[in-house]
Amino acid sequence: MSLLHLAVAYFRSRALLAFSALAIALGVAVLFTVLAVFNGFLQEVERTLREFGGDGVVQAPPGGRAEPPLERVLAALAEVDGLAEARPRLNYFGLTGRRGARALDDPRTTDLSGLLLVGVDEIPPGLTRVDGGGSLAGRPVPPGGIFLGRVHAEKLGVAPGEEIEVVSFRRGSLGRPVPVRAAFRVAAVFTTGRYDLDQDRALVSRADLARMVGHAAGWSEITLVGEPGVTPEVLCRRAETVLDRNLAADGWRGRVRSWRQQGGNFLKAVENQKGVLTAVFFFIVVVAAFQLIATLSLTVAEKRLDIGVLGALGASPGRIVTFFISLGLVIAAAGSALGLLLGRWLTGNLEWVQERLFGQRIFNAETYIFSRIPVAVDWASVAALIAATLGAALVFSFLPAWLAARREIVAALRR
Amino acid sequence: MSESGIVLEARELWRRYRMGSGVLEVLRGASLALRPGEVVALRGASGSGKSTLLHLLGLLDRPDRGEVRLAGRAAAGLGATARARLRARLVGFVFQQFHLLAELSALENVLVPRRLACGAAWLRRRREERARARELLAAVGLGDRLRHRPAQLSGGEQQRVAIARALVGRPAILLADEPTGNLDRRTGEEVLALLLELARDRDAAVLLATHDPDIAARCDRILALADGRIEAE
Repeated sequence: MSLLHLAVAYFRSRALLAFSALAIALGVAVLFTVLAVFNGFLQEVERTLREFGGDGVVQAPPGGRAEPPLERVLAALAEVDGLAEARPRLNYFGLTGRRGARALDDPRTTDLSGLLLVGVDEIPPGLTRVDGGGSLAGRPVPPGGIFLGRVHAEKLGVAPGEEIEVVSFRRGSLGRPVPVRAAFRVAAVFTTGRYDLDQDRALVSRADLARMVGHAAGWSEITLVGEPGVTPEVLCRRAETVLDRNLAADGWRGRVRSWRQQGGNFLKAVENQKGVLTAVFFFIVVVAAFQLIATLSLTVAEKRLDIGVLGALGASPGRIVTFFISLGLVIAAAGSALGLLLGRWLTGNLEWVQERLFGQRIFNAETYIFSRIPVAVDWASVAALIAATLGAALVFSFLPAWLAARREIVAALRR
Repeated sequence: MSESGIVLEARELWRRYRMGSGVLEVLRGASLALRPGEVVALRGASGSGKSTLLHLLGLLDRPDRGEVRLAGRAAAGLGATARARLRARLVGFVFQQFHLLAELSALENVLVPRRLACGAAWLRRRREERARARELLAAVGLGDRLRHRPAQLSGGEQQRVAIARALVGRPAILLADEPTGNLDRRTGEEVLALLLELARDRDAAVLLATHDPDIAARCDRILALADGRIEAE
């Protein structure tokens, strides 16, 4: 690389090479942004899933089998190594409407909103009041109170302090579901930062919900939170082992699923999409690097005399090859550096860019579940991106470099 | 240097070029020998083959027949890399058109042969190499133009940079192809005087191709190239 300074000097003095670097920069910037957005999206999904649902969930046996008594399950879980917290919940689907709404007597209308009623003893982390009252985490749910998600409350047009009616179902004497109604007072309106959770979750007291739907055990799942350093998968495996050992005699058929398993198909879909888009945009970077063949071939033709001079001064064919490859790498490195700066700026100003570029927010929360575009730079991915870009530049620089080295020195020196 | 004290030797060099359907024989058995510190003029009309001979002697080209020996070492069997290495170590070139690299400063132009010769050792030796290049540029009267690019220098100054570049590696052989051909008379004389003085100081053998009898007269010996062969004048 003893002629690196000459490669840098070429790069600085020729606009064509700068344009080549710009093409690479645009590709790198776009891919940087795509990676950062998908990474941010996955991180936000993980954060909200874990805050709302813990590291894992003990799910009661499916198919309507009776849950074991909560005390026995909690006593068994106390044996799980690395478990910091176990929070019982009771989940039931329900419908809500404003107090006295006609819809409650005539479900054909659109005044009803479906949601998941989550019976809890205290509010889980990750929920904040929309009126600026701060985090709701750890607060008890008052008897007869209900915590509504922001989107759901807006849809119903209710505010804290107002009453709403909730319809759910209990098992009738013939085993069929029978609708039940109860009035709840809105204790607070919360947001999780995720559109779907703010739309279809409402938190009530577990005792209230159990009474309303006539659920004897009073729980349908238990969220687990592990101690720091214990992975969700390990925690869930340990919990399942302990529960199988302790509750087998009670006919325990439940299962323990990690947050990743809970998110299952959704997370896989996002990861697949990330993979596909990364491949597509990396192809763009490769195409940008591919034009190095044309750029460097032109440079070799224009710098014919310099090649002859270098040869006369003692440059071997190998040195000429190395020189033109280093020129390709200088272009790719400059393009990558510019692309990183551009990508960093883009990811920091995505909201502004989308409004300027499209005149509106194309990332709406109803479609993309987050009201802001989540961004998180994964520097390991960025390092891989830069390494791949430089690798592509190395490959595509080789042909013009080899052609340069094949030139006869005497022919190159002739004007 | 060889045991005979000859630093550059050409034996019976033949070189022909295809010109369309015909063949042009430029050299037809040209031979010469140079000793260290000797300044030899190579005279000949335009197109007589002076540049071709210099290219063969500097290992930039290969003869169809005959042999070139540098410091006693035959170049015939050497590959491109070995020839480049030998050239970097033993030969300095001064061209009529200067042939400086336009993007580099005067100092960086002078350092190019040293970067090529040092290879990986450049980082370790760059301070002393830079000092030597500065010294040489000062010796050719360009101590205050180190950072100037070729486009910012006159023709005479560019040729001075080229002379410094040719001598920076203390080559045993200096091949100069019409070094004053692109300069006005006065500047040409100054540049020639400088080239001969510096080469003699360094005990380099100089072969100076020229068609100017006045320039040839200032050399220790004159060889004439005619009909592809060399004769002493």
